[in-house]
Amino acid sequence: MLGAGAAAGALASLSPQRAAAVLKLDVTQGNVQPVPIAIPDFIGVGVQDPAAGRNVSQIIASNLRRSGLFAPIDPAAYIEKISTIDALPRFPDWRQINAQALVTGRITQSDGRLKAEFRLWDVFAGQQLRGEQYNTTADNWRRIAHIISDAIYERITGEKGYFDSRVVFVDESGPKERRIKRLALMDQDGANVRYLTRGDDLVLTPRFSSAADTITYMSYSQGDPRVYLMNIETGQREIVSNFPGMTFSPRFSPDGQRVIFSLQRGGNSNLFVMDLRSKATTRLTDTQVIDTAPSYSPDGTRISFESDRGGKQQIYVMAANGGEAQRISFGEGAYSTPVWSPRGDYIAFTKQTESRFAIGIMRADGSGERILTEGYHNEGPTWAPNGRVIMFFRDPGGNAGPMLYTVDVTGRNEQILKTPSYASDPAWSPLLQ
Amino acid sequence: MRTAYTISAIGHAAVLLWSVWSLSATSLPVASTEGLPVDLVTASDFSKITAGSKDAPKAETPKPLVEKVAEANPVEDPTAKVVEKKEVKAAREPPPAPEAKPAEPEPEKKQAEAKPDPIADALAKDEAKKPEPKKADAKPPTPPKKPAPPTPKFDPKQVAALLDKRDSTRLAAAGETLNNAPSLGLSNGAAAQLSLSELEALRARLAQLWTVPAGAKDPQELVVLIRIKLNRDGKLAAPPVVLSSGKSPLFMAARDSAIRALFRGQPYDMLKPEHYEQWKDVEITFDPRDMIRG
Repeated sequence: MLGAGAAAGALASLSPQRAAAVLKLDVTQGNVQPVPIAIPDFIGVGVQDPAAGRNVSQIIASNLRRSGLFAPIDPAAYIEKISTIDALPRFPDWRQINAQALVTGRITQSDGRLKAEFRLWDVFAGQQLRGEQYNTTADNWRRIAHIISDAIYERITGEKGYFDSRVVFVDESGPKERRIKRLALMDQDGANVRYLTRGDDLVLTPRFSSAADTITYMSYSQGDPRVYLMNIETGQREIVSNFPGMTFSPRFSPDGQRVIFSLQRGGNSNLFVMDLRSKATTRLTDTQVIDTAPSYSPDGTRISFESDRGGKQQIYVMAANGGEAQRISFGEGAYSTPVWSPRGDYIAFTKQTESRFAIGIMRADGSGERILTEGYHNEGPTWAPNGRVIMFFRDPGGNAGPMLYTVDVTGRNEQILKTPSYASDPAWSPLLQ
Repeated sequence: MRTAYTISAIGHAAVLLWSVWSLSATSLPVASTEGLPVDLVTASDFSKITAGSKDAPKAETPKPLVEKVAEANPVEDPTAKVVEKKEVKAAREPPPAPEAKPAEPEPEKKQAEAKPDPIADALAKDEAKKPEPKKADAKPPTPPKKPAPPTPKFDPKQVAALLDKRDSTRLAAAGETLNNAPSLGLSNGAAAQLSLSELEALRARLAQLWTVPAGAKDPQELVVLIRIKLNRDGKLAAPPVVLSSGKSPLFMAARDSAIRALFRGQPYDMLKPEHYEQWKDVEITFDPRDMIRG
C-alpha cells in the first residue's frame, strides 16, 4: 500500500526535522469506508401522525445508506435519547457507539404547515456542522426528508446531493411477448410511482429537461416513431417534429430551449436540433451512416454522439453547431449511448463486446476509460444530478424482464432500485427546484 | 611427445599466472556512513503494524534507561524559575515554614551561583533531600506537573553533565529527562530518531481512519495540511490546527474528515516515548490524489 516513494519521502523529511522540531508526514492513502452516522427519530411537535418524526429520520437514513458513503447506526445502539434539539448532545455517548456524525431534528405541525429543523453534529470535534429549517405543506414531508438528506450529504462529502430528484422510466408489465410499456415517474428512492401514459403506444427513451417538469420521449403508435414533449405536472403533450421519416433518440439542451434528436431517412440517420420556441430545425450532421444518441455537454458547447462512420459504432464529440467530429472511443467492441455527466468530467456509455454489455465512463477526450459493471445485458446509463451515481437497466435474459440499478462512478456500491414491475430506460431528473 | 607436454605445461602455467595477477580485484574503498535507524521486525510483525489489526499482539516498548522521570526539581531549573517569577510572589499567602532559611536569595542569584558550580549544585541537591525546608521553597514557584517547559539552548545541567563523568550512570536510576538511547557510535549518531516503522504505523493508523471522498471531481481541493501537537502519552495536546485553507464544500468536507481521523486515532501509542522530542509536533499532509486518480 505504502510505496517506496512514500517511505523515501518520510526518510527525507526526517533529516531536517532534527533541527526544526516539526515532524512531517504525508498520508496518501485513506479508506473508503462509509461514515457511521446516527440519525435518532426527529422530535414531533403537534404532528397528527406520531410516527412522522420516525418516518423522516428513516427516509434520511435509507437515502444515506443507499449512497454507499454512509453507514447509519442501528437505533437500538443509541445511548442518549434526544429529547430536544436546542441543547448540545452528549458527545461521549455518541463517540462510544462510534458515530462520527449525528443528526438531530424536529418537525412542528400547525394548520397543515410543516416546519422541519435539523442539526448535523460532528461527534468527534464536538461541534455543529450545519443547522437549517424548512417550511412546507404537510403532505410534502417526504421531500423535506430528501432535502435534509442532501444537506447532510453535501456537508460531509463536500459534493452536491441528489436525493431530492425524480426518475422517469419505462414501466414494463405483462408477458414477454405482449409487454405493456408505460411511462412512469417516481422519486429517486422508488417512492411515489405515477404513470404518465396508458400503455397504448410503445414508448422509449424518456429524457428530462433541465427544468425537471418537462420530458421528451419517443413514442410509436401508428406510422413512424415521433419525438414528443410532455409536461409531467399537467400531462400536456406535443409532437416535437413532424418530418417524413423516423425521429428518435431525443435529448434536451442544458438550457432546456432546444431538443436534439436523430432523423432516419432511408438507411442512414443524421442529427438535428430544434429550437422549441421558434420550431426552427437545424441539421448538424450530413452523412451516409448512422449518427444517433446525441448528448450535450453541461455547458452546451459540445455534443457527444454515437456513429458507425468508422465501421463499428463508436463515440464521437463535435461542436454544438456541427462540424468536424472527433472520435474518442478506441477500445475493442462497439460503444453506444454516450451521456455527458452533469458535472462535465465524464461521458457514460454502453459498451458491447461479443455478447456482453457493459456500462462504463470515459473522459471527454476518450482517456480514463473505466468499466463500472458488465453482464449479459446492461444499457441506458443516466446520471444523478451530482454526477456521482449512474442509473441503468439490466436485463438478465430469459423470461425475466429488465430492472433498474444504480452504481457509483467509482464502480462500487451497485444496488437494485425497486420498481412496481419490470423497468427500463431510466432518466434521472435534475435536482428539484 | 615430451616437447608437446612441456609446451602444454608451460602454456597452462603461464595462463594461470596471468590470471592470478590480472584478475585479482582491487578492493573498493568503503566510506564510513551513518547508520540508518532501523527496527528489526519480522515480516508478520510488520504487516500487523501496517495493517493496524486490532487483535495484533501488543508490541512491548523497550524500557528506556531511565525507569521514571524524576519529579521536576525547580530549584535547579533556571529557565523555569525566570518564567514563573510572578508566582513566587503569590506564594506569600501560605507561609508554612517559619524556620525557612533567611538566606533564601532571589531566584536569579541562586541560578547564577548554581550555573558554574556543579558541586554547589550537588550540595543543593543534598539539602533538597531534607524534607522540611524543601516544601517551603520548592512547591510554590512551579507546580511540578507543568507541561514541558521550553528547553533552553544553553542548558547548565548539560554542562554539569559534561563535567561529571559519572553523570550518565547516576542519572540512570532517575533523572529529569529520559536518557536517549546510545548513539550508533558516530559523533552524529542518530539512534534516537524515530524509526521508519513507527512512522509507518502512525501513517497506517491515520490511513485506516481517514475517509476519502472517493470519486470527487476536483481532488486537488481535497489536500489538507494539518499540524498537531501531541502529549507524551500520545494524545492530542490541543485541537488540530489546519494550515491549508479553502472555502469550497469539498475542502471543508476533506478537512473535517482529516480532523475526525486525528481525534479518533489517539492515543498514538505506536510512537515511542523516548522519541517524544521528535514527534511532539507533527505536520501532516492528507493528500488523496493518488487514490482518486485513475
